[in-house]
Amino acid sequence: MSDESQNQLSASESSPPPPTPESESQPRLQLARPHTNRTPAIAATIGVAGWIVPGLGHALQKMWGRALACFFAVGVLVVIGSGMRGNLFQSADADAFGRLGYIADVGTGSFYWLAKALEVKGPDVSRADGDYGTRFLAAAGVLNLLAALHAYEAARGRKA
Amino acid sequence: MIFNLSHFQSMILFALMISIAFGFLSRRPLRERAKYIGWSFLLFVLIGIGIGWMMYPFSR
Repeated sequence: MSDESQNQLSASESSPPPPTPESESQPRLQLARPHTNRTPAIAATIGVAGWIVPGLGHALQKMWGRALACFFAVGVLVVIGSGMRGNLFQSADADAFGRLGYIADVGTGSFYWLAKALEVKGPDVSRADGDYGTRFLAAAGVLNLLAALHAYEAARGRKA
Repeated sequence: MIFNLSHFQSMILFALMISIAFGFLSRRPLRERAKYIGWSFLLFVLIGIGIGWMMYPFSR
């Protein structure tokens, strides 16, 4: 092998290949919200804010549609659930199901106190309405926890 | 404030609220969201009615 051909070979190995027309024409991969890669502490704060006030976690990230949807859905479920005189579980419940129900109800964050304030006559689960109301309140809490987790994940840049 | 809703009204309201929340959380373009919300709501209602009819022989 001559010196000239050896030089050509080493030059082709060391230098990066020139951009081809195909690679230039390909569209760049765009992340949904690349600027939302926040630190774990800020993301956790956003998640907690989303739990305390339904939709606030998304509102802090300027996801207005999601914020409104979460606030509206959780709010309607809480108002209707307490209006149907659903059972709002207490922290001092000795029953395991009662404690689970309390965790679900507390998932609504500040709306737990709203439900307490709206239920002036107390729960009445002797009728089907009251039983449905209990499910509405628990579903509202679990839904809000899911939304808060989504807000946290979005803040970490893992969800679009 | 007291609400007296029938079983069917409760089911429709529940299905609608959950579908809206799931649709907004899981899909981004508006068209995809609307499609997801519609399908989710329809399936909630149809499966609810189906399970209701399946339980009918044991209700008496």
